[in-house]
Amino acid sequence: MSAIETVKVIVDAEKQAAKMIDDATSEANAIRKKIDSSIQQQRQQMLDEAKKRAADISSRAGDEGKQEADNYETDSANTLKALVSKAISKKNATVEKLVTMLMRVE
Amino acid sequence: MTMSEANKFTQDILKVAREKADSIVHEAQADSQHASDEARTAISREADSIVRGARADADAVKRRQVSEARHRVKLREQQEKDKIVEDVLEEVKKQASKLVSDDTRYIPLLTHLIESGLRELGSESALVHLNKADLKRVSSSLEQSIRKNVAHVKVEWSKEPIEAIGGALISSLDGKIRIVNTLDQRFEALEPRLLIEAKASLFGE
Repeated sequence: MSAIETVKVIVDAEKQAAKMIDDATSEANAIRKKIDSSIQQQRQQMLDEAKKRAADISSRAGDEGKQEADNYETDSANTLKALVSKAISKKNATVEKLVTMLMRVE
Repeated sequence: MTMSEANKFTQDILKVAREKADSIVHEAQADSQHASDEARTAISREADSIVRGARADADAVKRRQVSEARHRVKLREQQEKDKIVEDVLEEVKKQASKLVSDDTRYIPLLTHLIESGLRELGSESALVHLNKADLKRVSSSLEQSIRKNVAHVKVEWSKEPIEAIGGALISSLDGKIRIVNTLDQRFEALEPRLLIEAKASLFGE
């Protein structure tokens, strides 16, 4: 093999090698670009889901709070009714007691 | 260089290039995997934080609604209690104004109110003012009792009736010093105690 042929073979090999590296670099860039885009997409999707859950929670909170408040008021209304009724039954005795206090000679 | 030597040389060049190319791609893949893992963790944290925030807000909304309901109930309860106590005190006044016609219960009190007023005035002479009904009821027994218990005071009875449920207003003869011992004043003075007693009796407070 002549020297010229040898140089030609080596130069071709170097070119092929350089192309391999270029291709690999391009592929690596594509991989990085793809993952960036995938992360953005995934981020948007997960945050959208989280915001939707948050909106559901907020919207339910108003109804649940109102329901709890209504239940509390209903229970308390019954308790108050009993308290008033008990107090009214003691009204006459209380009046008599206070009149006695008022008329007492100390 | 022989042909086989040249082939061996080019194969070495290509082998090194292939290895480097593989390494570049693997490195990109590993970097991507790492970035993806890190991003997933960070996004999960962010998403959790959004949901946690919403839960905290929701709890606050519920707590506020229940707290407002509690406040409304407490207010209603207080209004009901106040109304009953007010009714009771009004009734006490009514009963007291009726009881002044019951000599057995009223005359000892009237005597006491006049005598204590005379003592409080601390004067040798005094003018006793009564309401219209009581003026008609001034009896000798009442006068005797006063004369006996507050002997050092010369008592005169005012002909001008006062506006009161009962009791007496005792004044110096010139009217400069006045001791108000009316039932109305007594009610007013006793009102804080009557209120406490009413609440204790009605609600066990």
